[in-house]
Amino acid sequence: MIETQLSELAAATAARIAAAATAEELEVIRVEVLGRKGRLAEVSKDMGKLSPEQRGAVGKQLNAAKQTLEAALTARKTAFDEAALRARLDREWLDLTAPAAGPGLGSLHPLTQIQAEIEDLFVSLGFTVLDGPEVETEFNNFDALNIPPDHPARDMQDTFWLSNGHLLRTHTSPVQVRGMKKLGPPLRMIAPGRVFRNEEVDASHEHTFYQLEGMMVDKDVSVAHLIYFMKTLLSAIFKRDVTVRLRPGYFPFVEPGFELDIQCLICQGAGCPVCKQSGWVELLPCGLVHPNVLRLGGIDPEEYSGFAFGLGLTRLVMMRYAIDDIRQLQGGDLRFLTQF
Amino acid sequence: MKFSYNWLAEHIDGLTVPPAEIGKLITMKTAECEGVEAHGAHFEHVVVARVLTAEPIPGTHLSVTSVDTGRYGVKQVVCGAPNCRAGMLTAYVPPGQLGVTTAKLRGVDSDGMLASAKELGISAEDEGIIEFAAGEPGAAMAGCTADTIVEIDNKSLTHRPDLWGHHGMAREVAAIAGRPLKPIAAELPAGAPAVEIEIRDAKLCPRFSALRFENVTVQPSPLWLQQRLESVGLNPINNIVDVTNYLMAELAQPMHAYDAAKLQGGRIIVRVAEEGELCPALNGQTYTLDAGNLVIADAGGPVGIAGVIGGGPSAIGEGTTTILLEAANFHAASIRRTSTKLKLRTDASMRFEKSQDPENTVRALARAKWLLEQVSPGIRLVGGLADDYHPLPAVAPIEFDLVWMRRKLGKPDLTAAEVTAILRSLAFGVAETEGRFTVTVPSWRATKDVSLKDDLVEEVGRMIGYGNLTPAPPLVPSVVPPLPPERSYLRGLRQLLTAQGYTEVYNYSFVNEAQAAELGLPLEDHVRVVNPIAQGQELLRTSLLPNIKRNINDNAREFESFRCFEIGKEIHARGRELPEEIPHLAAVSFDKHGDGAANLFELKRLAGTIAPGCTVEPAEARGYEHPNRAAIVILRNEAIGRLFEFHPAMVETGRAAVLDLDLTKVQALRTAAGKYKPLRRFPTSAFDVTVPVAERELAGNVLARLREGAGELALDIRYLYDYKGDSGRSMSFRITLGAADRTLTGEEVTAVRSQVMSWMGL
Repeated sequence: MIETQLSELAAATAARIAAAATAEELEVIRVEVLGRKGRLAEVSKDMGKLSPEQRGAVGKQLNAAKQTLEAALTARKTAFDEAALRARLDREWLDLTAPAAGPGLGSLHPLTQIQAEIEDLFVSLGFTVLDGPEVETEFNNFDALNIPPDHPARDMQDTFWLSNGHLLRTHTSPVQVRGMKKLGPPLRMIAPGRVFRNEEVDASHEHTFYQLEGMMVDKDVSVAHLIYFMKTLLSAIFKRDVTVRLRPGYFPFVEPGFELDIQCLICQGAGCPVCKQSGWVELLPCGLVHPNVLRLGGIDPEEYSGFAFGLGLTRLVMMRYAIDDIRQLQGGDLRFLTQF
Repeated sequence: MKFSYNWLAEHIDGLTVPPAEIGKLITMKTAECEGVEAHGAHFEHVVVARVLTAEPIPGTHLSVTSVDTGRYGVKQVVCGAPNCRAGMLTAYVPPGQLGVTTAKLRGVDSDGMLASAKELGISAEDEGIIEFAAGEPGAAMAGCTADTIVEIDNKSLTHRPDLWGHHGMAREVAAIAGRPLKPIAAELPAGAPAVEIEIRDAKLCPRFSALRFENVTVQPSPLWLQQRLESVGLNPINNIVDVTNYLMAELAQPMHAYDAAKLQGGRIIVRVAEEGELCPALNGQTYTLDAGNLVIADAGGPVGIAGVIGGGPSAIGEGTTTILLEAANFHAASIRRTSTKLKLRTDASMRFEKSQDPENTVRALARAKWLLEQVSPGIRLVGGLADDYHPLPAVAPIEFDLVWMRRKLGKPDLTAAEVTAILRSLAFGVAETEGRFTVTVPSWRATKDVSLKDDLVEEVGRMIGYGNLTPAPPLVPSVVPPLPPERSYLRGLRQLLTAQGYTEVYNYSFVNEAQAAELGLPLEDHVRVVNPIAQGQELLRTSLLPNIKRNINDNAREFESFRCFEIGKEIHARGRELPEEIPHLAAVSFDKHGDGAANLFELKRLAGTIAPGCTVEPAEARGYEHPNRAAIVILRNEAIGRLFEFHPAMVETGRAAVLDLDLTKVQALRTAAGKYKPLRRFPTSAFDVTVPVAERELAGNVLARLREGAGELALDIRYLYDYKGDSGRSMSFRITLGAADRTLTGEEVTAVRSQVMSWMGL
């Protein structure tokens, strides 16, 4: 009797599971049939009335029915879950070609970039990096660099004079003086920074531009060392082997003083419009530090010697990016600045 | 400075360096050559020609001429010169020279050109075609030759007084080419000084030398002299003045010729000017002088501004028959000051300010006498040399050691013989024993240029050629460079800013007065530029904001929204001391649309990433700030900057939020990470509170009050949201509680909650 009831219940429940349309319906069926107070539980309660032999057979049948129904429920539920997940994933279609919210990457000024690059090169060679003020004393800018008042070399650098009796530095060379006093010999230093010349501005002239001063003071620093150093450095900057030459140049704070030319990178020295057919491009002034300058920096020129050079960062930037109007660099136009 | 190859070659025995090479040699060994160009190549082809007939072409100013050109035969040439007439001797330029072609002019064939002195490149004379007094058709123009002009950058001659004349440059070229330099004779006949000279200040005028000539004929110089002056950029004037200019260009010795009949009294006085003294100059201007200027005076007053320009009334003119020829030496700085003050730079002042050699005056006079005798036939010297000379202190002989020279150049194989030969080729006196050198400096290098052994390193180095040194790595200690922390800080800051979308701008250090006034920046805080050459350069910036504001308005014309920043120095006046330069950051977030709140909060968040732990407190707005959107940024109880929106009146369109931080303070107040705190082991509990607040209550204030009331167990109080409804405004916060040593009980949490509620009056 009870066996029949059980088989009918199992069969009917299996049919209901198969017919269920939602996970919720399945749960109703589970509670009604397999729950603690469900129909199968009722059956197992009635088993007490049975003989031990019957109990064994019915018990087996009950367990089998339970397992079968639970498996059917799980399988059906899994199918529903999977379908639900598939539906969610489908709904969640996203257009990734649409623009990202928030700002993109900003740009560093090209002068910042080239300055950082060159600073790193020098630091790797044991140089320290110094900063100097934009407003300098006349002494540091001229006198301490062996350019006394009324020296014609002052004509080379049109100067902005200030109401406080000082001036806007016309070159980064005054940091030589500060560096020597601060560091003492032996020393290796560079000083990048903003310098000023009282000039009319046009596409190729600026009153505000950037230089990088370099100085090395040690025992027995020679012209041959300077040439080696400049060649090494410029090869690293231009990322290729460069040929350099020194020729006489007059700067009162060095003796001897040089103009350093590099072989034209465009024509490899054959002659082209960039190098005005000469095969060489004038790049930087340099020289052995004048003994008067060493002395004013508190260094004994009989014991130490040194070389110094001035690299035009603005010029390098213009060369690297083929910028034809120097005014762009301080024009604040984001159409220009976001290109770097 | 322009140099004529022919002129240089006249001073060198057997120069074989071709003209095309000379510029490069000078560049590599002496001074920078800016260009080499052919001059007067046409003189190979231009000939003297006789005009046989000249018939006017009706209705024009032209004539058709028949010209006997000798070499080229008889030619028909159309000529427009007013002085063109039959019988005259002039210059014929054949087609192919000076751009002349065979052409038809007004329908008449013209085969070549009759030329003026200007067209021939001889002088500025262009009123008619050149006329010769004598000559054979077909002959070359006497003295006019093809030449090569080498232009040397004046800046590279700043330290070389001797290179402002051809003879000095010839000495260099001779040394480079290994040829002897021809000496210049300096002998003058003896005789009583023809004029009395009184130098009142020997420091300002170490030497004044003069000669007097009579029976002078003032006339145009011979063509060769005119052409030579013209070729180096000097204008031929008359034979007397031309001789002075010729010697200036040859010996670097400026000279002046006075009409002796116009000088008063028998004495030349060199003295400082009296205050307000006037000097009429030969350029037609009258200069007002003071005690900073040196004058040449006669009994009647100044007859010239020493070393700068001669006087007008005593200038050489057509009626001049006697001259006084001056060759003097002046103190360089004094000449430079006068020339700068009078804004009068002349060929003479340019040379004197380079410290000329006083030994040179007599040499120049001797050479002038020789030349005057050629260009002014019948001229006679009156008396002898007048010369007041106060020699400069001698430059001590320079001593150095061969080993030292080798080490300076980095050339270990340099020999004593090489050094000796080089220095001697440049006219230094050399004595050497076993590598010990004693060098005497020639007078023309001793005025300023060479006084130290280091100066001789340059002489030896350049003549050896720096290309002949073997580059060598310096042997230096291997040490970690002491790097200032600012460098890595600023670099990191820039990276942070670009990563957050900000683009870097560089602005000038200048602002103008209007910009400063617009932002209410006190003028007295600014350092002022005394000599601006353009508008907008009057003041040094005490704030980055004026130029940032300009960036905003400029870029607003191109972009709907943008972010930018500048890191630059504020420059604040400190009286006569150097000003204080403070690095600042100014960051901008701009939107053309929207209410501006997002931009301000974006910058607030930026401030928190740059200065972690900073807070923002409302501040009284400055004139250029939005009156209800201005705050100070505070880090560890110190104001480090401002966060604000520009006042709508300051921006043409849109809204611009700005963060301005003092980077010195930000760096000083940064804290490094210390010892780590052990991680919490017990769970935390949290509850929310909602606080009704007034319409303009500040979240920061409510948060501060909550912090005060929440007690020690409160680990974190977080602002959740702000609600505005019919019943007013309220803010919700979440308070998280916890203890280091236990899990809090429900009672403890409830107790804190009650405490908070009652503290807040809820």
